Amino acid sequence: MPGAVRTVGVSGLWKVFGRKPAEALAMAREGVARQQIQDETGCLVGVRDVTFEVNQGETFVVMGLSGSGKSTLVRCMSRLVEPTEGRVEICGADLTAADAAELRELRRHKIAMVFQHFALFPHRRVVDNVAYGLEVQGVERNERQERARELLSTVGLDGWSDHYPQQLSGGMQQRVGLARALAVDPEVLFFDEPFSALDPLIRRDMQDEFLSLQERLQRTLIFITHDFDEALKLADRIAIMRDGAFVQVGTAAEILTEPANDYVRAFTQDAPIAKVLLACALMRPLAEGAPEGSWERISTLAPLEKALPLLLASPNPLVVCDAEGEPVGLLHGEDVAEVVAGNSR
Amino acid sequence: MTAIDVPGGPTARLGGRLRLRDSGTGRLFGALVVVFVGGYLASWLLPGFGVFPESWDVGFAEPIDRARRWLINNQTTHGLYTVFLNPISDAIDAAIRWIESALAWLPWYVYPVFTGVGLWWARSRMAGLLGFLGVWVIGVLELWEEGLSTLALMGVSVIISLAIGIPLGIAAWRSDRFAKLLRPTLDAMQTMPGFVYLIPFVLLFGIGRVPSVISVFIFAVPPVVRLTEVGLRNVAPSMVEASEMFGATDRQTLRLVRLPQARPAILAGVNQTIMLAMSMVVIAAFIGAGGLGQVVLRSLSSLHVGRATEAGVAIVIMAIILDRFSQGIATADPGRDARWIRPLFGGTVAAAIVGGLLNHSAFPEALNWQFAGYIDDAVGWMQIHLYDIADSGIGTGPFSDFVTLNLVSPLRELFSSAIPWPVMIGIGVVLGLAARGIRLGLGIGAALTLIGLLGTWENAMDTLAQVVVAVVVTLIIGIPLGILAAQRDRFQTALNPFLDFLQTIPSFVLLVPVIMLFHVGRIPGIIASILYALPAAVHYTDLGLRRVPHEIGEAADSFGSTRLQRLRKVDLPLAAPELMVAINQTIMLVLSMVVIAGLVGGGGLGFEAVKGLRRSDSVGSGFEAGIAIVLLAGILDRLTRAVADRLRPPPAIA
Repeated sequence: MPGAVRTVGVSGLWKVFGRKPAEALAMAREGVARQQIQDETGCLVGVRDVTFEVNQGETFVVMGLSGSGKSTLVRCMSRLVEPTEGRVEICGADLTAADAAELRELRRHKIAMVFQHFALFPHRRVVDNVAYGLEVQGVERNERQERARELLSTVGLDGWSDHYPQQLSGGMQQRVGLARALAVDPEVLFFDEPFSALDPLIRRDMQDEFLSLQERLQRTLIFITHDFDEALKLADRIAIMRDGAFVQVGTAAEILTEPANDYVRAFTQDAPIAKVLLACALMRPLAEGAPEGSWERISTLAPLEKALPLLLASPNPLVVCDAEGEPVGLLHGEDVAEVVAGNSR
Repeated sequence: MTAIDVPGGPTARLGGRLRLRDSGTGRLFGALVVVFVGGYLASWLLPGFGVFPESWDVGFAEPIDRARRWLINNQTTHGLYTVFLNPISDAIDAAIRWIESALAWLPWYVYPVFTGVGLWWARSRMAGLLGFLGVWVIGVLELWEEGLSTLALMGVSVIISLAIGIPLGIAAWRSDRFAKLLRPTLDAMQTMPGFVYLIPFVLLFGIGRVPSVISVFIFAVPPVVRLTEVGLRNVAPSMVEASEMFGATDRQTLRLVRLPQARPAILAGVNQTIMLAMSMVVIAAFIGAGGLGQVVLRSLSSLHVGRATEAGVAIVIMAIILDRFSQGIATADPGRDARWIRPLFGGTVAAAIVGGLLNHSAFPEALNWQFAGYIDDAVGWMQIHLYDIADSGIGTGPFSDFVTLNLVSPLRELFSSAIPWPVMIGIGVVLGLAARGIRLGLGIGAALTLIGLLGTWENAMDTLAQVVVAVVVTLIIGIPLGILAAQRDRFQTALNPFLDFLQTIPSFVLLVPVIMLFHVGRIPGIIASILYALPAAVHYTDLGLRRVPHEIGEAADSFGSTRLQRLRKVDLPLAAPELMVAINQTIMLVLSMVVIAGLVGGGGLGFEAVKGLRRSDSVGSGFEAGIAIVLLAGILDRLTRAVADRLRPPPAIA
C-alpha cells in the first residue's frame, strides 16, 4: 500500500516454554522438529521465528488451529507472555525493550485487547468494566464514566451500563469487551478469538458489526481466529500459522488461489470461495483489445457469486470495472470454473 | 517392613480398596502379629511392661510449676514483661475496655433494631424478625451485661484476627516460600483442640481477658488466612491478564481485581473465623474471659443446669445471629437492590446517639423473666423419673452405667494396662508405616513414647478409649445418614437445618443439654462429642458421594447394578478419600470435645487440663496433659490423613 504507515512490526519473534530455552532455541534454529525438541529438552516451542508488519488501518488476521501458537503470539506481542527472542515494535516504540513502567504506559495508551471468553470483571457494573482502563490511568470518575457510557452507546448497549456483565448475553458481553478495549482509544487492538465463544448467528452479527466499526474507526487490528471463514471475511491480510510458525501470509485471494502447501490447501477446500473471492482477483488485465459494448459489466469488488449467473447467461467474458466505472480487466468463465472446481475437489 | 512403605505397583494403583488389599493388608497383619506376640512375651518376661513405668516420668510438671512461680514473681520487673508482654497486654486490655464501655453506653433497644435491620439486609425479612426477637431474649433472661461483655471480647478478637489474618493471607499468596512456611503452622494450630491453647497463655499472662483474646485469636485466625490465600490464588488468570493489559500496576490489579474477586472466599473465611472465635470465647471462660461463657461454666460446675441452659440459649442466639449475618454478607448478590437500607441504618444510628445521651443503656428490669427454675424442676423430675425409670433399671442412668462398664472402661483397661505399652507403641509404629512410611511410623512411636514419659500414659489411654467409642458411634450414625442424604435430595434438605444448628452451637454449650439428660460422667462427654462431630461426618460422606461423576453412576446402572451394588462397588470406593476426610474430621472434633468434657467428669487428659487451668498448683500437670492432647491429636490426624492420601486415585497421565 503506497503511503501506508507501519504501526506494528514484529521481527524474529520466538517463544520457548520450559526450563532450557537457550538449548531449545539453538535446536530449533537448526531445524529440529518441534516434537523432538520437546522430547529432548522438555521445552515447547510456542512461536517460531515470526516476522511481519501491519500498517495503520489494516486488519491482520492470524489463523491457526488450537496449539498452533497464535494465542501465544498475540500474548508475546503485548508481553503478557515474555518473548524469548525477537523484537516487537508498536507505533515506533520498542515494546520488547520497554521496562515495567514504559510497558505500562504503552499498554495504557497504545494497545488494548479483546479476550476470547470476554474476561469481564464480574464484580463491576458494565460501565465500570468499560471505564477500567481509564480508572487505571487515573482519569477522574465523572469523566471516565461519561466516556464509558459514550462507548457503550457506540456498541449498541445504551441502558445496560448499570447491569453486571453476567446478566448480559454472550454477544452483549463481548460488546462490553469491545467497548472496554476502545475506551482507552488505542492505536492497536488485539482480538484473541473474540467471537469463538458465541453462537453462529450472533457470531455473524458481531463480524458484520466488527467490519462496519472498523470502517469508521480505521484502527490497526491484530485478529486471532481458528475459523478460516472468519479470517476470509474480516482480513485485509491473513497469516496461516502452524506449529508456531507462519506458513503463508497473504490476502484472502492469494491464499485461496495460490495456497503455499497442502496444509493451507486443506483449509481452502471447504472455503466459500465464490463468496470470498472478488472479481479483481481472477480477472485478466485488459489488453489492447477494447471490450465489446454489449458485454456485461461488473465491479472489481464484486464477489464471484455475483459474476457466476452473468457468466452462465452469456458466452462472453465479463468486463470488470473499477470504482470510477473504467474497464480494467476481463473475467473469463473458464478461469472462474477452474478455481471453483479446484475448490470443490 | 520397609516394603510397606513403597506405594503399590502400577497394577495395584487402581482404586483404594484394591490396593490396600493387594499390597498392604497382608503385611500389615503380619507386622501386627509380630508386635503382639513379641510385646506379650516381653511383658511376661520383664516386669513393668504393663502400665507405663512411673519411674520413667521425666517430671515436666515440676519445672513448669517453677517457671510459673518465677513468672509471677517477675511480672513487674523482668524485661520480658516490661518491654514485651505488658505493652501487648495493656493494649488489648484497653481495647476491650474501650469497646465494652462503648457498647454499654449505647441504648439497649438499638441492639435488637440493629440486628433486625442488619439481618434483613444481609438475608431476609424473616431472618431480620427472628434476629430482632432473639436479642430481646438475651435481655429478658437477665444476661444483657454478660452478653455485651462477650460481644466486646468477640469484637476485639475478631478485629485482631482479621487485621492480622487477611494480610497474612495476602503475603502467603504473594510468596510461595512464605506459604510453605505458614501452611504447616496453620495445620498445627487447627489440629490442636482449642482448649489446649489456654494453658500456655495462662502461664504467661495469668488468667483474665488478655490471654483469652490471644488464645481466641490463635484458634480463630487460620480460616481467614487460608481462604484469603485460596481466594487470591483462584482468581481467573484471564481477569488478571485483562487488568494487566490495561497497564494496571500490581497494586491496582490487587485492589481493583484480585481482592474484589476473592471477596466471597475471604468473607467465607471471615464467617468461619467468627464462628471459631465464638466457640473459643465461650471456652475461654475457663481462664477468666467472663461474659456468657462464665455463666455456663459457673452454673455447670455447681450443677445449676437451668441457669446454664439460659446462658447456653443466649450464646446460641448470638452465634446464630453472627453466623447468618456474616454468611449473608458473604453470599449476597451484588446486584440486589438495597437502597432502602440507608435511611433505616441512619435512623438506627441517630436513635443510638440520642438514646445514649439519655442514658437508656440498661435493659429494663420489668421485662426480665427466667425459665431456669422450670429447667431445674424438669431436671429434678428427669433425675427421678428418666434417670432410672421407676427403679426398673431402665433409663439414662443405667444406660450410662451399662455403656461405661461394658464399653468404655474395658476399652480403657485394654489400652492402658491389658495391652502392654510397648505393644501399643508398636501398633502405632506399624500403622504409621503402613499408612505412609518410615517417617510417620517413627514419628508416631516417638509421640507415644513422649506421652508415656510425661507421665500421662493412663490418662491418654483413657481419652483414647473415649475417642474410639465416640468416633465409632458417630460414624455408625453419620455415614448412613450421609449416604441417604446423597441419594435423596429431600432427605438432605430436611436434615440440613438440624445439622447447621448443631454446628452453630459452640462446643462447650453442647454439654448443657446432655448433662440435663445424663448427669455427669464419661457418657455425657461422649454423647456431646458425637453430637459435635456428627455434622462433619454426614457432610463429608454426602459431599464425597455427590462428587462421584453422574456419568460413572450411569455406567454402573447400565450394567444392571442394584442400588446396593452400585453403592458398594462404585460410589463408596470413589468417595473413599472424602470418607477418610469424614473420619479425620470426626476424630478431631470428637477429641476436642472429649477434652472439654473433662469439666463434667469426663476424666482422662481433659480432666487434668481443666484442673491445671482452675488450680494454680496444678498448672504443671495441666501443661503436661495439654502436650499429651496435642501429641494425641497429631498422631490421629496424621494417620487418618495418610490413609486418605493413599485412597486417592492416581493422578491422570499428563
